[in-house]
Amino acid sequence: MKEKDVYVEFKPHQLVLYVEKDDDSFGPMQTGSFMAKNYLDDYFEKVEKWEKSLREQLKKGEISPVYYYMILQSFGEGDLASRAGVSKRKLRQHFQMSNFTKLKLSQIKKYAEAFDIPVASLFQLILSKHDEKRKISIKQTVTQNPYFIITKVEIA
Amino acid sequence: MVIMKEINFEHKMGAHCESGTVTALLNHNGLDISEPMVFGISGNIFFGYFESSNFPFPTFIVRNKPGSIRKNFGKNTGVKFNTASFKSKEKGEKYVNDLISNNIPTAVQVDFYYMDYLPEWQRVHINVHFVTIIGKNETDYLVSDSYFPEKAKISISRMSKARFVNGFMAPKGFLFYPEYIPDNIDLDKAIIKGIKKSAYNMTKLPVPFLGIKGMRKFAKKVVGWPKIARDIDHLSHEIMKITLLLEDQGTGGAGYRYLFATFLQEASEKLNENSFKDMSKRMMEIGDNWRNISYFAAKIGKNRDLGPERLKELSNMINDRADEEHLFFTDLYKLVK
Repeated sequence: MKEKDVYVEFKPHQLVLYVEKDDDSFGPMQTGSFMAKNYLDDYFEKVEKWEKSLREQLKKGEISPVYYYMILQSFGEGDLASRAGVSKRKLRQHFQMSNFTKLKLSQIKKYAEAFDIPVASLFQLILSKHDEKRKISIKQTVTQNPYFIITKVEIA
Repeated sequence: MVIMKEINFEHKMGAHCESGTVTALLNHNGLDISEPMVFGISGNIFFGYFESSNFPFPTFIVRNKPGSIRKNFGKNTGVKFNTASFKSKEKGEKYVNDLISNNIPTAVQVDFYYMDYLPEWQRVHINVHFVTIIGKNETDYLVSDSYFPEKAKISISRMSKARFVNGFMAPKGFLFYPEYIPDNIDLDKAIIKGIKKSAYNMTKLPVPFLGIKGMRKFAKKVVGWPKIARDIDHLSHEIMKITLLLEDQGTGGAGYRYLFATFLQEASEKLNENSFKDMSKRMMEIGDNWRNISYFAAKIGKNRDLGPERLKELSNMINDRADEEHLFFTDLYKLVK
């Protein structure tokens, strides 16, 4: 593909593509991502819809936080099971709230580590009351105690 | 201010993380070679269709398995890489820190998700990303990542998580760097070996989901994806991921086909062999046809235009690529046999 047909202006997401240059030689060019420039809104819309739907199921106790985060972070079951140190069969059991509540704290910590979130986030979602999210910043700081975090809310 | 110990290392973006990292390390150690040449010599162009619980949905690959660029390049050129992996996190961290103290940049295998200098939409959990560590202070590492325009900082704790995370293809702190580069590499021979391997893998592997057979399997299976997607949005997401896998996730465009075309053009000049130049042009055209699939998948995904007819159309396009590539790699194999 010709260099001029490939270039996309999108600074936040850059990549290198190989293209046909004007002198017929092939070589690399740095460009913005075509997908990120044109389809990011669609992606975020979808993620927002999934999050809302999963949150509703979570509120009703139909799914556990393990399932909620697994879907949102696009994990394969085998990969997540291996990261959390359980079998796939066990993992599937932990998708149900009734089984999740029976888990040892040490197992819950392993799930939190796999999702790269504090243990506390498996028991609560912190959401902004207003739509203007940018005015409020929520910062969670880990401490030396892996089960304990400090959440700071800042209003600009 | 905490002062960063930084190795004098030229950072360049690359098409792909492993070929980009291997190329940059070879360049740093005095071997003047391009990324397409490293990719081609390692015989890495490929196709595979997978349905595995390690992935959230059926997926495909367009290059050979992670680690094979370094391994095959070494095998075909005589370059030796020092490699290490670790059971102990402390030992793995100390090993890298000692290398930095000795001014040796080293590539490490990481979970891509933790590379938080990249935008969040780009980062997914995948344990086979490679970056080069080129500096350190008390709190951060300095890395050269082929997917980022500049050198980037990442905290020591994030890097530690990224290197020692569990899961499918867990990195186990794996690292590598070149330790011996022969004075006179027989590049002509290495090029031929790389081409032979590529053509063999694409046309002759007796596995029903690899090479051209993998493309046909993908074409057959994609029409059934609506049955396994959670809903229309999920299906749209997975269809649009076809475009991401072909264009955005470190392939150099069109699922490495443009990178391979560039390799063949360079090979033609190096070997003074015009037939490779013709093959290079053919591969560029094949790449353009893959790119048409990318555009098509993005469009129908965005419009949620995902009925049976549209998916059949997509399936036919993939089958056409299989026909083209079967012919291409059969011809290529004949040239190097």
